[in-house]
Amino acid sequence: MAFTPIPVGPQHPALDLESVNFTFHVDGEKVVAVRPRLGYMHRGIEKLAEGRTYHQNLYLVERVCGICSQAHTICYAQAVEELLEVEVPDRALYIRTIMAELERIQNHYLWLGVTAHQMGFETLFMYTWRDREIVLKMVEEVTGKRVNYDINYLGGVRRDLTPEAIHEMRKGLDQLAERTKYYTRVCKNERTVLKRTVDVGRLSPKDAEALCAVGPTLRASGVKRDIRADDPYAAYEETPFTVITYEGCDVASRLWVRCDEIQESIRIIRHALDTLPGGEISVRVPRAVPAGEAISRVEAPRGENLHYVRADGSENPARLKIRAPTLANLLPLCTMFVDMNIADIPLIIAGIDPCIACAERMTFIDPRKTAQWSWSSEELRRRSVQWYRKR
Amino acid sequence: MTADEAWRGAGLEERATAIKVQSRRRVFVDLAPVDFKAVVAWLVTERGFTHVATVTGIDVGSEIEVIYHLAHGALVLSLRVAVSKEEPTLPSIVDLVPGATFYEREVHDLFGVAFEGNPDLSPLVLPDDWPSEIHPLRREWPADRIHRRLEGT
Repeated sequence: MAFTPIPVGPQHPALDLESVNFTFHVDGEKVVAVRPRLGYMHRGIEKLAEGRTYHQNLYLVERVCGICSQAHTICYAQAVEELLEVEVPDRALYIRTIMAELERIQNHYLWLGVTAHQMGFETLFMYTWRDREIVLKMVEEVTGKRVNYDINYLGGVRRDLTPEAIHEMRKGLDQLAERTKYYTRVCKNERTVLKRTVDVGRLSPKDAEALCAVGPTLRASGVKRDIRADDPYAAYEETPFTVITYEGCDVASRLWVRCDEIQESIRIIRHALDTLPGGEISVRVPRAVPAGEAISRVEAPRGENLHYVRADGSENPARLKIRAPTLANLLPLCTMFVDMNIADIPLIIAGIDPCIACAERMTFIDPRKTAQWSWSSEELRRRSVQWYRKR
Repeated sequence: MTADEAWRGAGLEERATAIKVQSRRRVFVDLAPVDFKAVVAWLVTERGFTHVATVTGIDVGSEIEVIYHLAHGALVLSLRVAVSKEEPTLPSIVDLVPGATFYEREVHDLFGVAFEGNPDLSPLVLPDDWPSEIHPLRREWPADRIHRRLEGT
């Protein structure tokens, strides 16, 4: 018996941003298997990078992702700086760390909002997005921009933290810590949230490791792995923080990992501000990079991000390889759907915080009905909310 | 043996053609295609290198280098094998590390390297109607040539 294939995507199936297609094979309401298809957004960035100088590539890499650009530029800059044997000033490393954690907070807040929207919990969506503005204001104060901050240089950072910006940041962090405490309470106690997330989209620790999952997706399956702790960079070696894990292996745990990570990020930033070293924020670096190769890893908001740079002695890289965390989490995602209801699809997809550069239509295939049909993500979301309302 | 030294041992050192310890956390190992899979199997089963961070392809002229980035704690162990452009095939490691599935497909799309044993090498990042002779990250396909070929001029 062949099962009914249901295509989901290529427009973003969860966060309404980017394109991936999922074909779901269903037996009535149950998902039997799923096949993902990327390729709707392949922009050829690695190819482009080979035709640009190391300095130009910083701005290209900034644009790999709209909301985790800091993770990509730190990663790229570190690889090039390793090849150049440049010692980046401590103050710059601390500013990079602060910006990376602000980015994690805004990313997790954005994610919390869209995940709430997928549950039909619009109030939570509106509140979290309102409070996300607190972070975006801080980011703008420091960098002049809300997204794609362009704060990193090869050899340091572009802008310093002024005493006023630090003062404002501390005020904002106090506010955020308070709000995050409230949202964590909501996520751990609210019936709507628990009904839609507990035991939904299970990923066993064994599967998570075998399928090479990364980031909050991995940590929500109880595996304590975080690049900031395991392979520390920037100022993380000197920064005390806890790697958050939960054992639930479901969407609820992925939610709680992120809530707690926001609090950890706030602690990291406060610690960095308290111990911020003085001195320069950048050093000059040459245009040409000596031949060699370097690998750099960064814990992006969605997990391990890896850049590999091969230099041939010229001003352009011979190869820049980028592996963003979503590609690593796509395979684990596919196992999470098995035996779940069609109504759980939006939240399971949202659970990994996908950033495909994102799927709207979904194909569903049911063998018993020999039927094939498509839904937009909005149709599926509404149907899911209705389906759960009756239960 | 500390975690950073987890790669050391006969299973790897006796088969490697070159080992470069770039830093405590970054090690590069050159391997012949025939030995490569046995080394991966040894690392996975004996030394706990279960995380394949990604697979990188690089066009180095007549050959394509394929680099497997295995991670273990702070260490990134990069295993490098070179295959000829004429017959770029390698054994797939998905039976050892299922998480490498998409990385192999990506290298297959962009460089035309076939991974024997990977059950599905259909396009992952390229469109369905992409011409099969264009491997976009190979040197002989600069962006303007790809553009001309796709435009049919």
